[in-house]
Amino acid sequence: MLSQRSTNHILPIISKDPHMQRQIPSSFAVYSSLLKADLTAQWRNRRASILVILVPVIILMTWKGLVERNGGAFVLSNCITVGLMAIGLMGYSNSVARDRDKGIFQRLRVAPTSAWSIMTSRLTVQLVMIIIMTTTLFIVGYRFDHITTISAGSYAFGFLTAIVGGSVYLSLGQAVVGLIRNPETVNVVTRLVYFVFIMTGMFGELGMLGPEIGHAVKWSPYGTVKRIVSSSLESGAWDQNASIALAATVGYAILFTLLGIKWFKWNTR
Amino acid sequence: MDHHHNNTAVLQVEDLNVYYGAVQAVRNVSFTVQAGEIFGLLGPNGAGKTSTLSAVEGLLRPQSGTIRVAGYSIREESKQARASLGVQLQATSFQPELTVTEIIQLYAGIYGVSLTKQQVDGVLSNINLRDAAAKRFGQLSGGQQQRVSLVIATIHDPELVLLDEPTTGLDPQSRRQLWVRMESMREKGHGILLTTHSMEEAEAVCDRIAIIDHGQIITIDTPQALIDSNRDKPEVIQASRKGKITLEDVFIGLTGSTIRS
Repeated sequence: MLSQRSTNHILPIISKDPHMQRQIPSSFAVYSSLLKADLTAQWRNRRASILVILVPVIILMTWKGLVERNGGAFVLSNCITVGLMAIGLMGYSNSVARDRDKGIFQRLRVAPTSAWSIMTSRLTVQLVMIIIMTTTLFIVGYRFDHITTISAGSYAFGFLTAIVGGSVYLSLGQAVVGLIRNPETVNVVTRLVYFVFIMTGMFGELGMLGPEIGHAVKWSPYGTVKRIVSSSLESGAWDQNASIALAATVGYAILFTLLGIKWFKWNTR
Repeated sequence: MDHHHNNTAVLQVEDLNVYYGAVQAVRNVSFTVQAGEIFGLLGPNGAGKTSTLSAVEGLLRPQSGTIRVAGYSIREESKQARASLGVQLQATSFQPELTVTEIIQLYAGIYGVSLTKQQVDGVLSNINLRDAAAKRFGQLSGGQQQRVSLVIATIHDPELVLLDEPTTGLDPQSRRQLWVRMESMREKGHGILLTTHSMEEAEAVCDRIAIIDHGQIITIDTPQALIDSNRDKPEVIQASRKGKITLEDVFIGLTGSTIRS
């Protein structure tokens, strides 16, 4: 009905057949329109995106000396985990909190869009961010830190585990934005969680916080994600502990997703 | 006042009840909006306007009652009903990073409307925003944002257009221009549900008005009939400030002069 109408002027004259069903665009067409807009908005915010990627890149460059001692997979996996945290906690949750506060989601929801298409589009943009961040770290690791022992297959496996690990932090970001309505508070809390995870995760991994905290970190969202990424990047390193870490990672993602869905409200009132 | 009403109800609300926990926000609200009619829903803060609108928009699930937009149930035929509805919300509600053209293309895609570049230019020329096509939404003035918002609300040629306090914060020129656009929409057969705190606006553009208070509709009629039927009430006379009874006097007389939160 509509696509055939003249839209040469702002308010077209209604000429409806009362027996004609109103045409509803397909879910894929709606998703495509949303994704195009979300990717454009992300591109326009590229400075913020670059900053999100910059932190793990800087850590990777400063940890060059650890490559020989702990191995390239260890260094890369820590940096990828930090990057995944930044994308989920700093990027995704803050953009959702801001757009919710501005009523952008409510405006979309009064159109014939489904909740899943709005959120799937947002998550697809974050998936692109994860791929860009991981690729950047692989390139910097190879060129600057001279991490040359990783095979092409391991790189591909690394992408997959990075995406699985990213789902933990995206769902954690969703849970935070579900629990907290105010965008400024979301910003503060996610920064705090990010900082705590980096500090305890990285220093715990390096054994600087004692054996108890080291053990706790190993099975925390930081530790499990780091382990699956690390094991995937090293040929033959995937063992039973890595499988348990994968199960724990998926478990964390499911838990945070359920909490995020339960707590999330589309408006801030 | 006859404005091409064709006696086709584009919105039917029947026995609507909305609760927030134990608090009842909307009580047995019923009204209809006809095609080619501007219907005003007026009420003090907390009277139940927003809850009623949210239920019509499908954002809030009422405890009981039926809502049909262009004949489609907002609950059972949600997508068809929302596709028949154009909405201009109170708050700025588009991504500030997107340009005006990109926002129009986004919503055209969501509503399944095919627009060529020339058609987008034509739409923008119509609202005097062709020069702002490449501007980001966040860079527009309040009046320009309202015009974009109105274009989006009508881009799919909906049967019902819902305007939630559309002139709040606009200068008199922009407000008058919006009134003309509303009247133009009415002429073209759209039904319009308008909420406003401006009694001058309601009196100027609405064909019929419902006054809602404490969750209940207390009266529905044309602006002039509301004035005529209430002009002798002591509370309306008491609210009058200039000797002549206005719609605002009737509104204050019927809903009281106490400030609502």
